[in-house]
Amino acid sequence: MSVRLNPDVRNELMKFGIGDWNACYHCGTCTAICPLSEEGFLFPRKKIRLMQMGLEGQIESSVEPWLCYYCGDCTKTCPRDANPGELMMSLRRYLTSRYDWTGLSKKFYTSEIWELAWILFFAALVIISFLIVLPSMGYRYTPELTPDGGVKVNAFAPIHIVEAFDWTMAFVVASLLISNILRMYYKIIWKNSKTKVSLWVHIREFWLLIYNFAAQPKFSKCDDKRYWISHWFLMSGYTIMFIVIVVFLPWFQTEEILPIWDPQRLLGYYATFGLLFGLFVAIIGRLRKKDVKFQFSHISDWLFLVMLTLTVITGILIHIFRIYGMPMATYISYIAHMAVLVPMILIEVPFSKWSHLAYRPFAVYFMQLKKYAVPK
Amino acid sequence: MEEPRIGVYVCWCGTNIAKMVDVEQVAAEVSKLPNVAISKSYKYMCSDPGQELIIKDIRGHKLNRIVVAACSPRIHELTFRKAVEKAGINPYLFEMANIREQDSWVHTDRTEATTKALDLVVAAIRRVRFHEPLQKRSVNVDPATLIIGGGISGMTAALEIANAGKKVYLVEKTDRLGGQVVKFDLTFPHLSSAHQLIKPIIQRTGNHPNIEVFLNTEIREVTGYIGNFKSTVESQTQGTLELTFGNIIAAVGLKPFDPSKIEEYGYGRFPDVITSLEFEGMLANGQLLTKYGKEPRNIAIIHCVGSRNKKYHEYCSRTCCMAALKYVHEIRACLPDANIFEIYADMRAYGKGHEEFYALTTHRQIIFLMYDQQGQLPVIRQANRNDNCNMVIEMDEKLSGESVEVPVDMVILMVNMEAHDNVKEVVRAIGVSLCGNQFFIEKHPKLDPVATTTGGVFIVGTCQGPKDIPDSVAQARAAAARILASIAQGSVAVEVTTASVNELLCCGCQTCVKVCPYSAISYNESKHSSEVNEVLCKGCGTCGSACPAGAITSKHFTDNQILAEIEGIMSLSYKGA
Repeated sequence: MSVRLNPDVRNELMKFGIGDWNACYHCGTCTAICPLSEEGFLFPRKKIRLMQMGLEGQIESSVEPWLCYYCGDCTKTCPRDANPGELMMSLRRYLTSRYDWTGLSKKFYTSEIWELAWILFFAALVIISFLIVLPSMGYRYTPELTPDGGVKVNAFAPIHIVEAFDWTMAFVVASLLISNILRMYYKIIWKNSKTKVSLWVHIREFWLLIYNFAAQPKFSKCDDKRYWISHWFLMSGYTIMFIVIVVFLPWFQTEEILPIWDPQRLLGYYATFGLLFGLFVAIIGRLRKKDVKFQFSHISDWLFLVMLTLTVITGILIHIFRIYGMPMATYISYIAHMAVLVPMILIEVPFSKWSHLAYRPFAVYFMQLKKYAVPK
Repeated sequence: MEEPRIGVYVCWCGTNIAKMVDVEQVAAEVSKLPNVAISKSYKYMCSDPGQELIIKDIRGHKLNRIVVAACSPRIHELTFRKAVEKAGINPYLFEMANIREQDSWVHTDRTEATTKALDLVVAAIRRVRFHEPLQKRSVNVDPATLIIGGGISGMTAALEIANAGKKVYLVEKTDRLGGQVVKFDLTFPHLSSAHQLIKPIIQRTGNHPNIEVFLNTEIREVTGYIGNFKSTVESQTQGTLELTFGNIIAAVGLKPFDPSKIEEYGYGRFPDVITSLEFEGMLANGQLLTKYGKEPRNIAIIHCVGSRNKKYHEYCSRTCCMAALKYVHEIRACLPDANIFEIYADMRAYGKGHEEFYALTTHRQIIFLMYDQQGQLPVIRQANRNDNCNMVIEMDEKLSGESVEVPVDMVILMVNMEAHDNVKEVVRAIGVSLCGNQFFIEKHPKLDPVATTTGGVFIVGTCQGPKDIPDSVAQARAAAARILASIAQGSVAVEVTTASVNELLCCGCQTCVKVCPYSAISYNESKHSSEVNEVLCKGCGTCGSACPAGAITSKHFTDNQILAEIEGIMSLSYKGA
């Protein structure tokens, strides 16, 4: 059956990146050099072709963009300067917007003003909550200290309300992300009219999802291992922190000053170190532009880094100010922390760059399912 | 005839020959043969000391025949003939034995190679005894030149020759000068105007005092030979004319392929499937519209129409790829939002600045789709009512492996360049040969690309094969330079080793007249004998071997000489066998 070329799709796709992939003349050097490309799941060349021809359906059903970790070898060896690495990055952005059923993702990726406006809107809501809503409920800033000299955080950020809010936010974000993953599954596996995958294969291969989320073995196959390490620290730090502040907030946000070797503090310090190390490598990389993977920075790449860095720094400040009994400084840091964290999670996780933490392991899982697909 | 005193020189060619052939043994063996006055071997015979050695020996030992056993005569026969002449003997009293290409380079057994070298040298010695002195001849050159074809090649050559103060007759079949180039809008890869290029040339050609232009005129007959041609031309306005000239340039060009032969493209059936030349006209008129008067939203450009396809023409037309890329820039200039599809088989960007032009064009937001020339060609069909386009191209896209449908409103067919239908008339008149694709054949594809095997007849431009403007112009100027050189000399040397007819033996069967590839033999009714025009004759020997009466002798290839050579080659190895 023939497919209709759609140049409009191609034109739309080009809005998701900075590259110009029309220069590609399909020598296939990129696919040959890629350590991750494998039989049956060849990229980047084939994906460039789909993009050039605007074959929408086939782009949407591709898992390959998620298998690429952007080492940049393809771009370095491309004889036409067609920048295949950046194409894979752009396809990830495009796919994120296609999995998302709300249409917001596309807006965020293609309009900087739209994205900044929503970030500011959520930040404003957070600030209003702290300055107007919570005080009206009786929770307000107090200069009093706890008996061991710490700041009374629960006075202005009551643990039960913050926890309830965290759970709500987590629920919203998770619902959006899960519905998007289901759409991803539909496009990649379900929609394929020629093949089907048995339920047993779905169950048997499920472990891959967890393994790939936790260890990112694909990333480790890139020739340059440095970024796998720094990315792994960033990912593990982020995941620990996310779980701790959403699920275990009452354990984590304490007024009591625990001894330094307490598991709560050690875990927090590890997560902070992981985040800082990963962020440092990425920010320096993007500023220096020496490695191909950091040469082209889309607005979403910078927003992600800047917001996460601000979140981490304000988090550290809250910790220091609280322990050393500086109530006003703690109060301001806490509001700033939440004003960055909330829009970051609400926008980045379901709609933007952070969704890759779910899409990447799922893509490996779906790829495995595809390998065991049988004709209908 | 004086007693032959033969000098034999065996070359080492460094180690090229000496490694596989015992050159000293060969020299020693042949010195025992009758008539061999002296026999030597030397490291490099072709070097100045090597040649000096021969000259000294000729003078000192009163030699009157020379044999050099070395490389191919193609390489150094002329060198040694000149050396021999310098010493005062006729250059044709020399013979060369090829013991390198035919012996040392192709054998691995030194003993056998040495025996073979000996056979070849003995054959040359036997042959040279029968060599006769031949005299060099030359003919005067008429300074006028006939140029057939008023395209960019013909006009360029005409101006080059006319500017040197020599007369040119420029014969053009149609009613205007300019050829194909006047039909173009812009040229690749610089996107400069074709009109600005060709108009001044047409004007200068038309106004030049040394150029006589004959429009609506065709060549009927050409007689004569290099330096002294005569021609009958038929002009629609001036009637039949007689022209005399010394050289001819054929610049008859090519014509566009008729795409209606290709069923799949539906040329003629679909009004918006047009040829590249029709599209050039559209661009020149500044209106890029479909036949329905609408601006096309989707434009496809199909490459290799009639080219590189066994069914039509197997050769590449060389210019269409770049012309197709040129259209991208021209279409973008007037329809910035149009979708442009380049449907190609291979992209060929061989020329100066072409690869850069290709790379530049790939950034103009176009879609390249590759089809397989050996497989199914793209098929154009009418679009359905709800398709939102005029036509649909169905094709197997090679780089993605998908069967795709391309929505189009206009299709441009990049038509191949093919030979004119009536080219055979010119070919017969001027005596050039055609290759399988009906292109004029040059004398040597690499070393003599504008001359032909007929002296004084040159070929330039696309009649020799598809080419772009720079190549055509370069050829035109090259041919002009060749002709001006012969005019400046005033005379040209002609072949010495020609055929001659013994009138007493000729039976008048005229077999020779029929077989001669150069039309050099005619039959003299009054003498009842064939006659060879020694200026036209190339000494190929065809007539000599075909003559049933043995009346024709090819000079320097007489029966005596050839039989002696055969005897020589058989005398040692096969003795007693």
